[in-house]
Amino acid sequence: MRVHIPSVLRKWTGGRDVVDLQVATTSCMTAAEVIGTVARQFPGLRDRVLNEQGELRRHVNIFIDGENARFLGGLSAPVGAHSEMWIHPSLSGG
Amino acid sequence: MAVSKLAPRTGDILLMVGTVKGAFIFLSDAARGNFRMSGPHFPGQSVWSAAFIGNGAARIIVGNKSEHWGAMVSHSDDFGATWTEPTEGNIKFPAGSSVSLNSIWALEAATSLGPEVVLAGVDPAALFRSDDRGETFQLNEALFNHPDRSKWNPGFGGLCLHSILVHPQDPRRMYVAISSGGIYRSDDGGGSWTTCVNGLRVHPDVAGAALCPHKLRFDAENPSCMYLQNHPGVYRTSNEGRGWVSIENGLPSDFGFPMVAHPRRGGTIYTFPLTSDEFRVPPGGVPRVWRSRNGGTSWEPLGKGLPDTNGFFTVLRDAFSADTLEPAGLYFGTRGGQLYNSNDEGESWRAIAEFLPPILCVKTSTVN
Repeated sequence: MRVHIPSVLRKWTGGRDVVDLQVATTSCMTAAEVIGTVARQFPGLRDRVLNEQGELRRHVNIFIDGENARFLGGLSAPVGAHSEMWIHPSLSGG
Repeated sequence: MAVSKLAPRTGDILLMVGTVKGAFIFLSDAARGNFRMSGPHFPGQSVWSAAFIGNGAARIIVGNKSEHWGAMVSHSDDFGATWTEPTEGNIKFPAGSSVSLNSIWALEAATSLGPEVVLAGVDPAALFRSDDRGETFQLNEALFNHPDRSKWNPGFGGLCLHSILVHPQDPRRMYVAISSGGIYRSDDGGGSWTTCVNGLRVHPDVAGAALCPHKLRFDAENPSCMYLQNHPGVYRTSNEGRGWVSIENGLPSDFGFPMVAHPRRGGTIYTFPLTSDEFRVPPGGVPRVWRSRNGGTSWEPLGKGLPDTNGFFTVLRDAFSADTLEPAGLYFGTRGGQLYNSNDEGESWRAIAEFLPPILCVKTSTVN
């Protein structure tokens, strides 16, 4: 399982653009569990991706294998052992 | 011209300016004739609040907010040359409360409560306290659980706790003001809160605006006396908020956002009237600071150096402040990005900066 870190958050991952998680090939995690696992290693990530109620911030998107997680169950969306997950800031104007 | 590093000296005047696109720091000697600027700090982020902690090693703290990654209190111990953002959010509502932080509207170094104490007012309305110079914060539970909370309504700017006043002689007495929620007083250091809105006029059209204070300030000499720019009306209390009387007679509008008190002279206050309610620009396009020298009994416009026509900018509630020099310096920032300064207590004005992003807050302090 691979998690892609946007450039603006890499100061909180020691400059790493990807974080690989070693999980059993048959296991599946939720998006929330993946964020929690990555954030245990890089604690600066959690509060920037989720608010204090554990909700995905309004202008942050999670993509799982190219699909927006909001349409896959949100933070409950399944992330397979061979999946790739991207954290993206939303595009916005102003 | 922006400089990368400011070199402050004792007695310098520090201006902390928060905008929708970052923070800017200005520094001048006491003559206040030449302000050097650094910034933008936190480029792309909105900076809603700032404070200077002069006790011990100097520290600037700001309430910065990324629309993507949330809001937090960050600090600089070298006048903006470097900043420390907290690894984890340092202002949080309790898990399970269903409330989450939007933005940090007010930061006040509350040295009368302790040399390390900082108070923060946030949206949604709540008060937080730091005992370590703004690095970690704890929620004031009594206000958060106040039975009035269900009656508070967010206004156009959100449900913000924007004014925090700590009584200078009795720090157990504190006041907070919430838009749109009201004014609350604590006599036990924040352990309990009572509403103090008697006498405030009900707005005829805007639900909840009856309890929509915009900015609250102590009188410079008598902390039993306070001044309020309310959503509808301008008010004074002479009895610790137990009752309010209107002082708007003589002003061109009862609407506005900021209220500033002279740093030493009781009864001298400043406001910036706007045409209410949808337009929110200076009446007639003629921006004027209005001053009272008798506690609001009468008012006079101050406009030398400000536009005489076609001035349609807005000054928000936290974007007007005074320094403590003699004569007092005044500073206000506009949503058009102009930063104005008066070195003669409002008699004349000049622009320190004209093309900043929309200005949210202006705080000033003397470097010690």
